Amino acid sequence: MELIFKVYRHDPAAGTKPALESYPVSLPDGATVLDGLFQIRDRHDGGLAFRAACGRGFCGECTLRINRSGKLACITKVAQVAKDGEVTVEPVRNITVLKDLVYDVDELLWQKIAWVEPWLRPATAQPEGGYVIPDAGLEPIRKAMSCYYCGLCDEGCSVIPFDRRFSGPAALTKAFRVVFDPRDGAARERLLRLGEPRGMWDCVHCYEANEHCPRGIDPTDRIFDLRDKAVELGVKSGTANPQVARHYDSFAASVRQSGWLDEGRLALETWGLGRLGELLPMAWRALRRGKLPVPYLHRKRPGAEWIRKIFDKVEKRS
Amino acid sequence: MSYAFYPGCVSRGGCPELYPSAVKVAGRLGLGLEELTDVGCNGAGVLSRAVSDPINARTFAKAEARGLTQLMTICSTCTGVMGGANLRLKEDPAYRERINREFLAEERLAYQGSVDVKHLLWLLVEDYGLDRLRAEVRRPLKGLRVSPFYGCYIRRPDGILEGKPARKRYLEMVIEALGAEVTDFGGKGKCCGFPVLTANEPNSMAMVAAHTGEAKSKGAECMVTPCPLCHLNLDGGQPRAAKMKGTAIDLPILHLPQLIGLALGFSTEELHLKRHIVPTRPVAEKVSLLT
Amino acid sequence: MPDHTVVVVGGGVAGIRAALAARAQGADVALVSKVHPLRSHSCTSQGGLNAALAPDDSWETHAQDTVAGGDFLGDQDAVETLAREAPDAVLELDRWGAPFNRDERGRLALRRLAGASRARACYADDLTGHVVLQVLHEQLLAARVPAYVEWVVTSLLMDDGACRGVVALELATGTLHAITARAVVLATGGFGRVYEPTGASLGLTGDGLALAYRAGAVLMDMEMVQYHPTALTGTGALLTEALLGEGALLVTGGGERVMAEAAPRLGERAPRDLLSRSIASRLKAGEAVLLDARPIGGARLGRSFGVTRHLVKAVAGLDLAKEPVPVEPVPHRTMGGVRVDLHGATGVPGLFAAGGCAATGVHGANRLGGNSLLEALVFGRRAGEAAARAAAAAPTGQGASSRLADEERALEALTARGGGPDAAATIRQALTRTMREQVGLFREAAGLAEATRTIVGLEERYRGLGVTASGRRWNYALVSHLELGHLLEVARVVAAAALARQESRGVHARRDFPERDDTGWLRHTLASFTPDGPKLDAQPVVITRWPPGRRAY
Repeated sequence: MELIFKVYRHDPAAGTKPALESYPVSLPDGATVLDGLFQIRDRHDGGLAFRAACGRGFCGECTLRINRSGKLACITKVAQVAKDGEVTVEPVRNITVLKDLVYDVDELLWQKIAWVEPWLRPATAQPEGGYVIPDAGLEPIRKAMSCYYCGLCDEGCSVIPFDRRFSGPAALTKAFRVVFDPRDGAARERLLRLGEPRGMWDCVHCYEANEHCPRGIDPTDRIFDLRDKAVELGVKSGTANPQVARHYDSFAASVRQSGWLDEGRLALETWGLGRLGELLPMAWRALRRGKLPVPYLHRKRPGAEWIRKIFDKVEKRS
Repeated sequence: MSYAFYPGCVSRGGCPELYPSAVKVAGRLGLGLEELTDVGCNGAGVLSRAVSDPINARTFAKAEARGLTQLMTICSTCTGVMGGANLRLKEDPAYRERINREFLAEERLAYQGSVDVKHLLWLLVEDYGLDRLRAEVRRPLKGLRVSPFYGCYIRRPDGILEGKPARKRYLEMVIEALGAEVTDFGGKGKCCGFPVLTANEPNSMAMVAAHTGEAKSKGAECMVTPCPLCHLNLDGGQPRAAKMKGTAIDLPILHLPQLIGLALGFSTEELHLKRHIVPTRPVAEKVSLLT
Repeated sequence: MPDHTVVVVGGGVAGIRAALAARAQGADVALVSKVHPLRSHSCTSQGGLNAALAPDDSWETHAQDTVAGGDFLGDQDAVETLAREAPDAVLELDRWGAPFNRDERGRLALRRLAGASRARACYADDLTGHVVLQVLHEQLLAARVPAYVEWVVTSLLMDDGACRGVVALELATGTLHAITARAVVLATGGFGRVYEPTGASLGLTGDGLALAYRAGAVLMDMEMVQYHPTALTGTGALLTEALLGEGALLVTGGGERVMAEAAPRLGERAPRDLLSRSIASRLKAGEAVLLDARPIGGARLGRSFGVTRHLVKAVAGLDLAKEPVPVEPVPHRTMGGVRVDLHGATGVPGLFAAGGCAATGVHGANRLGGNSLLEALVFGRRAGEAAARAAAAAPTGQGASSRLADEERALEALTARGGGPDAAATIRQALTRTMREQVGLFREAAGLAEATRTIVGLEERYRGLGVTASGRRWNYALVSHLELGHLLEVARVVAAAALARQESRGVHARRDFPERDDTGWLRHTLASFTPDGPKLDAQPVVITRWPPGRRAY
């Protein structure tokens, strides 16, 4: 195959502007995008910087945007992605480029993973012969650990473009690995930490992470698992963002009592009188526009007592 | 065909303009709606699934008890949350059985797994048909530039599309069927920020500003959304978002039934178009001018 | 100038285990790795981790299987150590949270891998190496061991014949650093990249071997190169041998079982060298060879081989659960390496080695699946402990700054020279072609001798090469250039050792010497560096309990 690779080149240290450079490549039919990049480095410009490690889809190192879509370059076949004889190769989004296709993975991933403190803190001593655990308890852990930090979930995340320091689905999936490990005994402290700003409550659960994960790990669902566990253990936020816990409690309380959500009460109980200064103008505006019913009466729905029973049963269970 | 109608909480709470608009539009189109009045809030992605899965199973069982298997929602979040719960209940019969036994049996209910959750948007394209919709239009919205804003939960995860990838373009199709112009933009499938309004207001407002700003820059005169939670942020949050960003936005946000209702010939009063934070008058004017 | 007590080079399973062990001894240890530890080749290991955990198993049986599997070239004291310490190594990982598969009673599940007389490999679906590496990395984070990530070691700091640190190029800044230490552990992996195609990761360019070799360490059994029998044809993607262990079949296009003759009893569970040769012979005869995983069943394939199944689909568009897939052997695991004793000591004071770059003598002439990860853990720990002990008693090295200055000048000269852009790639291609064709599965004297001549010629051309990219930051062309030098160095030794061993044993198959010859060759091939080429020597195989016998599978 003869085609053109358009490759992102940029050396921030040199102060030049980023550009897409075109390189002609000549590749066998089954070639991968990584093969093309190596050929460019060998034949055209030895200074082209890109990362690769295992070369066969196991280690997650060569994640790049190939024709605008996040993929592993080493298992992406050129023949399948080429459009009109061209393949565009760029770094992933929402990161700092270090040089050409090499970007700051420390900022994107490694620092965040260290932040979740992903090492086991065993609850009990290991019995002789090893821990005895039903495999069903370890299957989800293995699934979560199959993550190879390709970064595609973080790259597709809705929050990270607006807040680069959000911990992100990859780190939170790593947190899942320890919180839900049957041997770990530190769930409460972990969830308290994960509940702090930039942690799990900052996730907008838009499900982008699930869409982007090449290993079917469903990070969004792992984040929901963490949040549900936090609720179960009574740790509904960190210490720096108590309004999140108040929000949950208020939401649950109104659904429990009336069967549906009382938004007025929700706003008041979440923010409390401390923010009355802001809430009042908002309420006034809502009132003027006819959004606030007068009188404000939140009625119990028929069947509310059955909803309350559901809450009671769940509470009793935990 | 009768649909079990699940209006959700916000359509009569924070967005009281949505419920009456939806009911009027459904009535005009001849959609048979049987409202489920004794069911609970689906949790909206806030409540733990330990409690929301049983609540939703009960809702589905209630629909089944009335002989209804098609459940209509008017909120993307309701669609996604209930759709997700439904998937879990359908795919794991043992799980469904456990929930039936533990939570529903006392009320003599049991969910059999036969309900489908469908947003009005899907229903219109798939069941009702765009040709029929076009035929009902009395006031074509000619020249009105509308940006679609879906809301995450009506597009993701993939399973929600139930093998119909075209669902990702239904909003555009409906806009055009109503005679209006689609002003496309990159943020149409992204998150409005509402879910983190409490946890992280700056992020939430930044998302509002980004998406409304982008649509505006592409020439949109208004935005339409099938999700009242998105509406709360995009409309209700718009002044704050504009303040944080430092630029004016002033982009009217319409609920899907309101846009449809305008094309069907309803008045601004009937569609409660004045009950928005960002004035919708420019839309009404443009539409009236072209009667 | 960074200074530590112990420096570990390489962030894979062996390297991290060594670092943790050194830290546990109280040493100020740092890890240096040219890729992020989680990208190390260890993460591609899939099958499992052997240990005599079952109540009706014994370390002796594990050892016996290993000795036989290695075609009796294994040093039996090292094999005993491996087998004895295996259960503890596995249980330690369990304590650290490795989510190994469990059986119906909740105990560690065990699967049977090649050459094993019974099931004894614990595993994590088809991602065992990946999971073990992750767990070790978690512990590395917990221990707060400093890690110099994406620093490429260019040379060892030698002082008076002892190793007192390393010189490393920091890719992000292009700065050359001298990291002084009182002991160094090399854990840089093998040298599978002298071949192409290969199952080895891109970074397995024999760096540690070359550096140690030049510093006076001895390389052992370099001719022993194991082919992985089942790579997906034309892709280089390896299909884990655990598939065969769990019931997958190797058949020809006509449906004949490939292993029926060579291994009537163990069949597809015969050791890899037998599998590779059997498959290669069929392919040479023009027949197709397929791996049929359908007997494993869709459910098990989906649950425990999900990654493999997904990759096969992604790379070749085939479904393991529905159809047989074409396979071929590719070079994979190099057994040769820096000779070490049972504590990872190389004989060069201050220099230790573990994992893929070391030759403990455990694998002999053929490595059994499930023993590599184990070796990295057991001997990685030993090397780390020994390095810490040695460092505690060792002096600080001298001369680091002047060595650094020399190295800086050498690098400058390289990048200043420039040179035809294609030369490095051409040399590399010529090297891998020579190795594939003449130092491959089947060898003979004339080809091996020619290989040496070719390699010498390539080394000559290499010496005249420069690096075309002049900037120092993220200069992978420079790194590649250094790696090529290591590959040439190592390839030369492989060819020489292969020519020297006039017998066939394990993975080393000589057409001109097709039989095993215990009288003449029950010994390890040793190689030491001289400016004129490797000087070869030999040392006897250590035999404790198992006199050499016939391998019968």
